Amino acid sequence: MNEFVGRALLRREDAHLLRGEARFIDDVPEPDGTLHLGFVLSPHAHARILEVDTAAAAALPGIQAVLTGADIAAHVQPIVAEVEIEGYRRHGRDVVARDLVRFVGEAVAVVVAEDPYVAQDAIELVEVSYEPLAASIDMEATTAADAPRVHEAVPGNLVFEGRFATEGFDEAFAAAPHVLKERFKSGRVGGVPLEPRGCLAVPEPGGALTFYTSTQIPHMLRTAVAKYIGCPESRLRVVVPEVGGGFGTKAQIYPEEFVTAALARHFRRPVKWIQDRREELITDIHSRDHIYEVEVAFDGEGLVQALRSRVRTNAGAYSTLPFGCTLETTGGARMIVGPYRITNYAYVAQAVVTHTGPVGAYRGVAQPSCYMAIEGMMDRIARHLDIDPAEVRLRNMVPTAELPWTNVVGVRYDTGSYQESLRAAMEAIDYEGFRAGQPADRLVDGKYRGIGICSFTEVSGTGAPGWRARGLVRLPGFDTGLVRVEPSGEVTAFVSHAHAGQGHYTTFAQVVADALGVDFADVTIIEGDTAAVPYGTGTFASRSAVTGGGALIRAATKVRDKMRRIAAHILEAAVEDVVFEAGRAHVAGVEGHGVDMRRIAETAYAMNELTLPEGEDFGLEETDFYDPPLVTMANASHIARVAVDAEDGRVEIEAYAVVHDCGRLINPMIVDGQIHGGVAQGIGEALMEEFVYDDEGQIQNATLLDYLLPTAEDIPDITLGHIESPTIDAVGGFKGVGEGGVIGAVPAVLNAVGDALSGLGIEIATKPLRPSLLAGEIRKVRDGSAS
Amino acid sequence: MIEKLDITLIVNGRERHARVEPRRLLADVLRHELGLKGTHIGCEHGVCGACTVLLDGRSARSCLHFAVAVDGAEITTVEGLGGGDELTPIQQAFHRNHALQCGYCTPGMLVTVQEFLAREPDPDDAAIRRALSNNICRCTGYANIVAAVREAARALREAGT
Ligand code: FES
Ligand code: FES
Repeated sequence: MNEFVGRALLRREDAHLLRGEARFIDDVPEPDGTLHLGFVLSPHAHARILEVDTAAAAALPGIQAVLTGADIAAHVQPIVAEVEIEGYRRHGRDVVARDLVRFVGEAVAVVVAEDPYVAQDAIELVEVSYEPLAASIDMEATTAADAPRVHEAVPGNLVFEGRFATEGFDEAFAAAPHVLKERFKSGRVGGVPLEPRGCLAVPEPGGALTFYTSTQIPHMLRTAVAKYIGCPESRLRVVVPEVGGGFGTKAQIYPEEFVTAALARHFRRPVKWIQDRREELITDIHSRDHIYEVEVAFDGEGLVQALRSRVRTNAGAYSTLPFGCTLETTGGARMIVGPYRITNYAYVAQAVVTHTGPVGAYRGVAQPSCYMAIEGMMDRIARHLDIDPAEVRLRNMVPTAELPWTNVVGVRYDTGSYQESLRAAMEAIDYEGFRAGQPADRLVDGKYRGIGICSFTEVSGTGAPGWRARGLVRLPGFDTGLVRVEPSGEVTAFVSHAHAGQGHYTTFAQVVADALGVDFADVTIIEGDTAAVPYGTGTFASRSAVTGGGALIRAATKVRDKMRRIAAHILEAAVEDVVFEAGRAHVAGVEGHGVDMRRIAETAYAMNELTLPEGEDFGLEETDFYDPPLVTMANASHIARVAVDAEDGRVEIEAYAVVHDCGRLINPMIVDGQIHGGVAQGIGEALMEEFVYDDEGQIQNATLLDYLLPTAEDIPDITLGHIESPTIDAVGGFKGVGEGGVIGAVPAVLNAVGDALSGLGIEIATKPLRPSLLAGEIRKVRDGSAS
Repeated sequence: MIEKLDITLIVNGRERHARVEPRRLLADVLRHELGLKGTHIGCEHGVCGACTVLLDGRSARSCLHFAVAVDGAEITTVEGLGGGDELTPIQQAFHRNHALQCGYCTPGMLVTVQEFLAREPDPDDAAIRRALSNNICRCTGYANIVAAVREAARALREAGT
């Protein structure tokens, strides 16, 4: 039955958010006697801690304690990312530094206060003496022989290296008539959710702990916190309040979470920590600090014969939990082939440690950067051969007729619409019309105007085999659904996800309603509480529709089977003859001979005169797990049209089109919202966002005045289209959509600017494209040609 | 110990009293002393707009004001926008247009839009985008917020005539 899936139902979660009644982490009621933490952060990128003098801070009225790294070590074990992949070097991290600090912002002491303002006062009074040491900041220089070492356990600062080559690669490469080469540099950005992080740990009677935290991964977080603070996992309950945006930034397990939970147990008092924006910007995970050196060999038709890449990602100072520091590296190297039929491929993928903040899994992970490289090369091939860039892509794409297709690194593309989505996006933005009117110098009405494409595959719904392939040995892949029909006939469904704005209460209810054949209004979704919901992996990497939707469908199907057996028993009919329609079961073809859901439920709960079939258990609830295959591959094409101001270098996006294919749509309104939001983040990443470190490792822009986020005036209207190619490899037909917006927008905008400036011979191989950068490039060319 | 001062604020039409340190931010007083958690804090340096409230009828960033400095002022927070059980026309438009995802920016957006539409009842899209440009939303990409404001403006005009 397909009554609710596919409909743009309005969200259930809105009313309390609109009234200001929603409870985010800083809104969770604080029990009496709550202690407030403040972290003293290192001002040095690399230094030895000589002494931490806590006396003045500890003497402040309202201070409960001031703790150093050594004090905290008594309560929290050093954390170690569980990456097992050839070429990876393990290293640990004290959650509060003891001997060495390795990035600006690393915590060196913790103050515990009766009031958050007093905690801030105390932070100022903690005197730390450091011996500053030379730091490795630049990700290329960090592997030089004389570069300062970040970790003893990581010689040469090379924390991971992986290599891959297809058989006969060198011959295939050498045989191609054309070769182009480019070095792409992708700037460092972050998710920067509008709500900073925070947590509140509340001791419960009998030694248990309730831990409220703003996370996307409650179950994995619980396992890790229990392990590192030495608390029985069964006594730790993780509860996720409303979360004000995650984007992967909150799919990490951070030092402050261990410290807060451990200190609540130690002091036997509630302990709370709320992050401020500066801490968010300098200590939350960053991403995308990558370099791609790409060589592409192709024939006279623009068909790629072989691709070679050297991928280097900046892993920051420490490997993080739960993904380690190799997710971007393996991702960038493995995903770069995108929707193209590239069969000869070789890569060297390296992650290097530096004295900069830790990195992790920001929305899109490596895909915006690796597609910046491959999509940039598609445009270069086009310019080199004087073929239209869209045509070069269409020629290289795997045609739908050839799906399923396994790509060069072994990832299966089951269904998709690579050429179709590109053609549809071209139509939506009138690509041909724009090209027809475009002069060779690209100068129209005083501005350089160009158009740029990004066609890509989007990894979603990764299952355990997908994580294993990338060395994450202890990351589950499955999620869990528990579906219960209550005695009233209403439905409660529990799912092991945790939303941060994605509308799960609405979309999962649509899925369950259809799977059970009941009304959407009768289904309630519960998630984000480890005491209520069975174990699962959580919400990141575009997975909830695939893994949560799949698990709920499987559990609901079991419940439905049971209801059918009970109905057959009541109706004295054969089980196969019972059908469900509009919340009622009846014998096929005999609509009058039926029984409603409520009566079936009452029977299951022994609340009426009827009996259950022989051997049937009481109750109406089932749990099921769903571990999708390696990955579920969505796809899309984005096309941006831009105008670049010749004088000030500002880029205006004049039109933007997306045609996306995430398989079966659960709620088109919510899917569109995901794409809009992602595109905005991608535009920010392409044009303005970047964390800038100076040579000493200081972040130059640790406020929102200086780290620019796009505003309503920076984002154009977006023309959106959908193609639905349901996956045949995963339950439900859904593919993920959470990351596609940002993935496509970064390369599309860069390529549009590249097209606009192609008449000047300027190649775009870096981001962000700040006005000053572009104005400088344009001036250089103009001055050069004038002289 | 820093000396505390007594202040009075008219919040959402009700007189409220608090005894606060002079350094206490208006946002913190609203949230933690008066229990109005709908006003959110995203940056505490005046950029994001999540903390926007109406201060004597004008939109203001409650993270940039000390509570003692606005002693006696009239303040409207998101909790004071609505008419009881019903959502306001602006809130309804946000709901119908999917103009919120995580909802963290939403209270500040609503307050900003309320002031804007009172001043400019029939804005074009460019004016809407300009009016929203001091409030950051990291989730929606703004398109649906712009659509919501457009729809709310129409609804308010029609209700007014
Ligand atoms: S919290 Fe006040 S403007 Fe950001
Ligand atoms: S809805 Fe999340 S910041 Fe606007």
